[in-house]
Amino acid sequence: MKEITMNQNEVMKRYYKEFGISMSVYVVAVITSTTILSNFEFPKIAQIIITLIPVIPTIFVVIAIMRALRDSDELQQRIQLQAVTFSAITTGLITFSYGFLENIGFPPFPTIWVLPMMFMLWGLSLAYFWKKYQ
Amino acid sequence: MKNNLKVLRAERDWSQADLADKLNVSRQTINAIETEKYDPSLPLAFSIAKLFGKKIEEIFTPDKK
Repeated sequence: MKEITMNQNEVMKRYYKEFGISMSVYVVAVITSTTILSNFEFPKIAQIIITLIPVIPTIFVVIAIMRALRDSDELQQRIQLQAVTFSAITTGLITFSYGFLENIGFPPFPTIWVLPMMFMLWGLSLAYFWKKYQ
Repeated sequence: MKNNLKVLRAERDWSQADLADKLNVSRQTINAIETEKYDPSLPLAFSIAKLFGKKIEEIFTPDKK
């Protein structure tokens, strides 16, 4: 395991800054994208591009999270691993199980809810595992 | 694993946050080690030993089975 050489307060400060900027740009991009699409007519290919513009700032959100995780200390990494594993497996099992219900006529599960579900479970499990080491 | 980190820290009049800063870990990590809820990795144990000028086994001792 590599030695952590960065002060943890600085890691979190950098993370909040990078995450905050990326999410702000994301919100602006979503509002701009939906406003443009609802007010103007575009060919299909242009609609696809405009719809996916907000994806660009989310790439920087991913980078911010990965950088914070890389520079976190070993206990924080362990807690994050437990929380992310729990949220990924639980989200997978919930959506997979719902897939069986769709086979007997339940309405299709909106895929747009997968990420918020995963983030919510991540947050809840993070609080739980965090408390375990307090 | 048992340890006397809290005593060593108190002898130097350092807070958990002070020690965390010196080791580049979070205060929660220091607290978890002191309360024996978390055993540090070998690199971190070496860093702790180096900081206090002691051998690892002078700070950390295995639980008696």
